[in-house]
Amino acid sequence: MKYISRSDLSVILNELIGESRLIAPKKVGGVILYQPITDTSHITWDFTRPVLSIKESFFPATERLFTIDINGQEVTLNDTLPEIPQIILGVRPCDARGMKILDALFIDTPPRDSYFAQHRANTTIIGLSCQELGETCFCTSMDGSPTDPQGMDVMLTEIEDGYSVQIITEKGKKFFGDHLSLAYEEATPPSGTLDRPSAIPAPNDINWPRKFHEAYWDQLAERCLSCRICAYICPTCRCFTVRDEPIASNDGMQQFERIRCWDACTSEAYRQIAGGHNPRQAKKQRLRNRIYCKFDFYPKQYGPIACTGCGRCVEMCPVNIDITEVLRDLAEVTP
Amino acid sequence: MTTTNTPYSENAMKPSLGRLAYIKDLGTEIKLFGVELLNGNGADFRAYHPGQFAFVSAFGIGEAAFGFASIPRNGTLEFAIQRLGSVTTELHELGVGDTIGVRGPLGNYFPLDSMRGKNLIVLGGGIGGAPLRPVIQYVLANRAHYGHLTILWAARHPSLLVFTDEYDTWRSAPDTQLHLTVDVADVGWDHHTGLITDLLERVSPSPENTITITCGPPIMIHFVNKMLIERFGFRPEQNYVTLEARMHCGIGKCGRCNLDEKLVCVDGPVFTMAEVGNFLESFL
Repeated sequence: MKYISRSDLSVILNELIGESRLIAPKKVGGVILYQPITDTSHITWDFTRPVLSIKESFFPATERLFTIDINGQEVTLNDTLPEIPQIILGVRPCDARGMKILDALFIDTPPRDSYFAQHRANTTIIGLSCQELGETCFCTSMDGSPTDPQGMDVMLTEIEDGYSVQIITEKGKKFFGDHLSLAYEEATPPSGTLDRPSAIPAPNDINWPRKFHEAYWDQLAERCLSCRICAYICPTCRCFTVRDEPIASNDGMQQFERIRCWDACTSEAYRQIAGGHNPRQAKKQRLRNRIYCKFDFYPKQYGPIACTGCGRCVEMCPVNIDITEVLRDLAEVTP
Repeated sequence: MTTTNTPYSENAMKPSLGRLAYIKDLGTEIKLFGVELLNGNGADFRAYHPGQFAFVSAFGIGEAAFGFASIPRNGTLEFAIQRLGSVTTELHELGVGDTIGVRGPLGNYFPLDSMRGKNLIVLGGGIGGAPLRPVIQYVLANRAHYGHLTILWAARHPSLLVFTDEYDTWRSAPDTQLHLTVDVADVGWDHHTGLITDLLERVSPSPENTITITCGPPIMIHFVNKMLIERFGFRPEQNYVTLEARMHCGIGKCGRCNLDEKLVCVDGPVFTMAEVGNFLESFL
């Protein structure tokens, strides 16, 4: 396998910054986030897992769908589909696979989501395999692994002051382009798997329909705050809401944008209709829906389990609701 | 039920533009909007089916889902809309000539072809009557192909009854009966007063060669169908309902309208009670 030093990789990235948007791990306010980078010296090269997933680069927290010009009774809609190519550096296997999971819904299930599809087509993912499993990681229980290249265009593996380079797609090959001359003597990536024995039951082994009416959900929901953090940090949660917002108004012409924003099925008014009726009024119904969506509904609808085992929700939940514990509990509760 | 491919090849979130051709008051805070599609966008809407729906945009506020309130007619669409939330309030502020957006047709539909030769009972509650009007229009236009048509039409108050100026047409159609009820009567009300289930008890329908179609508030759908099945012996698969759910895309992406792994927007909105009865989660 090829080897590239960190400084040579920076040379390539610096050249591409003009024509592409580069997104890479960066320390902001004491946490590591995937952020737009204008100079490779701002990149944080040593990191475990950024607080937010790369979901935002394909499915932004707020995204403009089109703009609306209103001039008296005349209305014009203007397309605003994204055009700028982007490169995301340092994508961990869990996050790269998360986008494959969202592909199953947004791209593979018709009709295709134009926005997500275009972001996907415009993006090159330079992945980075994991040297170890983090404290809350459980990808190996969710069909993943720290060295899984699924969803990446290139997978880098850290070796000393550089990386072994595994080119996976044409896009990945294009990324290195003429710079393949910078690469590189042969290198052997570290061998051995990083699997660790796991006590987490496989979601497919749980009889989900039979657990739906368990009293367990009442007990679990008692401490849920409906704060939605689990959904926002999740690489595969994709609920959204749509509305119009004003942009500008002049000379009798008003301009609006139609936007979609992240939403979460755990939020209180998620299912409430205009007349006030809310079929999912109770917290336990909403919490249960999120867990079922991940492990039962999403696989039935689109194929993959909607969890990558990234462990962010385990780490971030303010009341310590641990999705791996939920799986263990559900495997145990009778029947 | 019967599904259809959505016509979208490009951006399924972008609406077609339409002009409000006429607006009629149907009842208190309820208006019928006639929409003419602009820029040749009518093609997608030429062949929709009773039971399908569309998203209607009040530009500057957003969009919401509404069942088609009429059968297809020369590219003009009709929606019966009650002022309830932000989008419907804005729509009620618009006038003839104003531009709105329409996205669709979406969802599945009532399999009216497979109901040929059967007696039909149509039960509508309040604004829930809107998606049932195309069913009635279709059956009346193809009257010879169906058996008895019994319409049970209900509202909380006489001022909330929709399509009142069409009742005489419905009543005078061959082999067609219309039964009206309101929860609370007013002066001059000379029909039944009480819940639609009281009316159903009086009509006492036979399940023999009969299909029912219900739309209304969730609680009404629940009790009407419970009565049809438990009291009158209908099999769940004889009873069709169309369910309302909050939606933000209508194309199976936004996640909002699920009942178990089914999505009301693409797997519905039309279901039989056999399907609804199998859901773990209640629509109530």
